[in-house]
Amino acid sequence: MALVGNIRDFSLSDFLSLVDRGYKTGALHLSYNDQTARLYFEKGKLLLAARRPEDEKPELLVRLGVLNADQLAQACRMLAARGNGATLSQVVIDAGMVSTERLQSALMGHTEQSVYGLFAWPEGDFLFEHNQRPAPDAPLAPVPISIDHLIMEGVRRIDEWERIRDRIPSTDLVPRFLAPPGEKLKGMRLSPDEWKVFARINGRDTLAEIAQKTGLSDFDVCRAVYGFLTAGMLELVKRQRVLAAGMPPVEQPRLKKSLVNRIINRIRSM
Amino acid sequence: MQTVKMVISGAVNAGKTEFIKTISEIEVVSTERRATDDTRLIKKETTVAMDFGRIAISDDLVLHLFGTPGQKRFDFMWEILAEGMLGLVILVDSTRPETFRETNRIIDFFVSYRDTPYVIAANKQDRPNAWSPEELRLALRQPPHIKVLPCTATDRESVKNVLLELLYVIQERSED
Repeated sequence: MALVGNIRDFSLSDFLSLVDRGYKTGALHLSYNDQTARLYFEKGKLLLAARRPEDEKPELLVRLGVLNADQLAQACRMLAARGNGATLSQVVIDAGMVSTERLQSALMGHTEQSVYGLFAWPEGDFLFEHNQRPAPDAPLAPVPISIDHLIMEGVRRIDEWERIRDRIPSTDLVPRFLAPPGEKLKGMRLSPDEWKVFARINGRDTLAEIAQKTGLSDFDVCRAVYGFLTAGMLELVKRQRVLAAGMPPVEQPRLKKSLVNRIINRIRSM
Repeated sequence: MQTVKMVISGAVNAGKTEFIKTISEIEVVSTERRATDDTRLIKKETTVAMDFGRIAISDDLVLHLFGTPGQKRFDFMWEILAEGMLGLVILVDSTRPETFRETNRIIDFFVSYRDTPYVIAANKQDRPNAWSPEELRLALRQPPHIKVLPCTATDRESVKNVLLELLYVIQERSED
């Protein structure tokens, strides 16, 4: 079933994060006023971002200077002859018309710019169609693009406290890595300020203390941390919980198993 | 007579009142009033205080179900309701992603300072365009060990299943 909503309520960064963590395959359709966009994903990675219908057509490779018109016509004939789930990108690489690196670089640049523009939309309806795939002759990135750094880029463009406060209600919270961040970091391109914040995260200092130690504003620290949170690298905990490590924060009343079993049996019999 | 308490929470119009009505043995004590703020865009009446339901377990044991008010200005009630609760059901309207941020705020409130057993009930699964429980887990950033359960709050079996799953979580933590 399709996922529908509005990026005003569930931001594009949040949606990209969901696609990434859920290894989703499908197409995200976006519309805002008279603008539309379509993003195709495979197992959580981006294959293609089209701001205009022409961006899904093979002629994009000519516009980007990857192929000339004759090469494209030849590639399209070869693709039609090959069939069997082949893609245009595979055909042009196999035929030696362009290297994988050159094709990847051109399409990745185009795709990233297309997505960056979407972060400027203040709102817009979205619909995610599971398992919808692009046409075989669509200009797909030969290596699906990791979206971690796209998430960070989206977060960089947030200029309002309100959205950040939804996830980071207080600067007294302590950021803590969920796991060693090595793998996640590979796909990300951090700014110098984000590196400063990243390097100060030790599971003990609060956001306010990190701001003090880095000389950055609370907003800049929280925005960077919001990005790490959205990319699924961090959790925020309250300091009390950190100080009392190994102990439950507030002792819940311990119930007797027999009492719980009585309630279970009663509910089952209803 | 011993009483134990479960709390049913969630954003406005998540289905808390319906959930309690479906399972309670008494007529639910609700303080529904005409909505006076932006919630009126969603429903004509909304819970401004709380809902109360009851299930008799035996002659000497009673389970009370409390539904929290959904509107932010009644947050102060949450602290009172949370005191001594056995466990918590967080209801989510699976068709309205605009409520997911508020749902996260509620989870954070109830769970961060207490070691509260809780489950998330993905309500309105019978509606078109409902997000699946697994998609809700991702959207709400819940770890794998937290149960996110399909739910239709008007269906008794579905509500029973949610309560039972919560009780199994509580059972694991209880003493022999």
